[in-house]
Amino acid sequence: MGNALWSNTLSSDTLVIGLGNPLRGDDGVGMRIADLLAGYRLPAGVEVAQGGTRGLELVNWMEGWPRVIIIDAAEVGKAPGGFTRFTLDEGQLLGNDQHLSIHAAGLREALLLAEVLGVLPDEVIVYGIQPAHLDWTDTLSPEVEAAVPQVLKSVLDELMAPGPVACG
Amino acid sequence: MTTVNVNVHHLTRVEGHGNIVVDVKNGELVQCELQIVEAPRFFEAMLRGRPYYEASHITSRICGICSTGHATASLRATENALSVEVSEQTELLRKLVFHGEIIDSHVLHVYMLVAPDFFGVGSVLPLAATHPEVVKRALRIKKLSGDLCAMVSGRHTHPIAMAVGGFTHLPSIKELLAMRERLVAARDDMDETIALLQALPWPQFERETEYVSLQKEDEYAFIDGRIATTDGFTYAIPDYRQVTNEFLVPHSTAKHTKHNRDSYMVGALARFNNNFEQLHPRAKAAAEKLGMEPLVTNSFLNSAAQAIEMVHCVEDSILLIDELVDRGLREEPPYRFQGKGGEGTGSCDVPRGILFHNYVIDEEGLIQGANCVIPTGQNYANMEADMRALVPQILDRPHKEITHMMEMLIRAYDPCISCSTHFLNVEFV
Repeated sequence: MGNALWSNTLSSDTLVIGLGNPLRGDDGVGMRIADLLAGYRLPAGVEVAQGGTRGLELVNWMEGWPRVIIIDAAEVGKAPGGFTRFTLDEGQLLGNDQHLSIHAAGLREALLLAEVLGVLPDEVIVYGIQPAHLDWTDTLSPEVEAAVPQVLKSVLDELMAPGPVACG
Repeated sequence: MTTVNVNVHHLTRVEGHGNIVVDVKNGELVQCELQIVEAPRFFEAMLRGRPYYEASHITSRICGICSTGHATASLRATENALSVEVSEQTELLRKLVFHGEIIDSHVLHVYMLVAPDFFGVGSVLPLAATHPEVVKRALRIKKLSGDLCAMVSGRHTHPIAMAVGGFTHLPSIKELLAMRERLVAARDDMDETIALLQALPWPQFERETEYVSLQKEDEYAFIDGRIATTDGFTYAIPDYRQVTNEFLVPHSTAKHTKHNRDSYMVGALARFNNNFEQLHPRAKAAAEKLGMEPLVTNSFLNSAAQAIEMVHCVEDSILLIDELVDRGLREEPPYRFQGKGGEGTGSCDVPRGILFHNYVIDEEGLIQGANCVIPTGQNYANMEADMRALVPQILDRPHKEITHMMEMLIRAYDPCISCSTHFLNVEFV
């Protein structure tokens, strides 16, 4: 059995979900990156999905995966095109929600529900990309377009990185 | 003397946007309205000039929950206009995917939109904390029904494999059998659903009205058939306007309808009242457990009727799969336009009630005109009539409770508001 310093049951099984509406400008960046990722030779155990504007179904999608990486446009307090990688442990998405609208249920609600139901993956990593606009258009803004290769590289680096080696 | 003012802005846990306004001055009901404030959608206009084969794909976008319902009604309208006969295989497959959507929509409504009210919580989230098994069951049923839809129509939402004359993709026997196993296993979840609803304190409310739905002699009708009402009227589908009689009201962006009385009701309860005899035995048993048999005139029990339909659809899906597997599936040649236009009406009884699509298609296969009469639109007059009847009965209760009862009443109808608004804006009084 492993101790607290390392895990010898580390699994690289990862589900990458690109979220967003491709018709709302920069909201489509998650879907774009998921689309690009599908063209790469990814390690075994990695799957890429286009989540679109799905809400509570994400709970079903995430169930059973040790690690989930979510890519989405997000308000992360940066200049357009800037992005932040954060884990749920950093507590940025979770909170109390008494007025859930099912029609508008999205990632936040799905994560809350998954946590309450005890089916949240061990690791949930979010890449939040700051949008310039969410206008009715199927193209990304120049700033976010320029950020796509960087986000892609970060995600790929994360997926390709070898797991920690148990020592001792 | 009682003065009550209820003003619910953008009612929660319904699909779309509506306000409830109730104004009682000195014990007299002065104003009682469900104001639909959803923006117009313009689908009927969008179809004009489009080729006939796009209609089902465009109109399936009217709704993300009842997209298969719209697509099916659309296809039936087009097939009716162009005199297209569909094979029995196509009919069986369409019924199967339709059942999937009924289950999908009803489980969402019953567990996530209605149940929180009975558990005294604002949404399914706190419910998940206190009753995780209940919410897990809902998600499980939703996944099953979504997978059923995707298996038959190529995609969970917006059924891409459904086309004029048939299907562009068929499920395999292996897939059908695997799905059959899951449906059989879902019987436990169906039983638990009925048990859950049995234990709920359903509000006591009765108001007689006319119930309108499709009807067929030999099956619980969801697709095709004749229009039937509990007041004893029956019409062929092309004569739907004799039932709907759409008209405008000043406080709403959606039209109202009326037939024999000031209003009528469509949806699960209407189907239940008209077609109880055609329910699968297991569904009839569920109805018995819930103490329901026609004529049920308590609108709150629309959600209970939905649960009974869930049981029916699980059982009937198993029977449909057995028949499909028995027959074997065959690829069929696609429909080719014959160079002749026409007018046609298609009708389905989608999760929320009877839906009509009517198209005029020209000699080049382009749509010249379209009319869609949405179930929720047909319920608005009845919702308001129910509100007017209920308010005096509960005037003595605390204001918060009156508001809550009004909200629960509207939610019971499972209104799909953005489906129903497609008329140009009217000025609010």
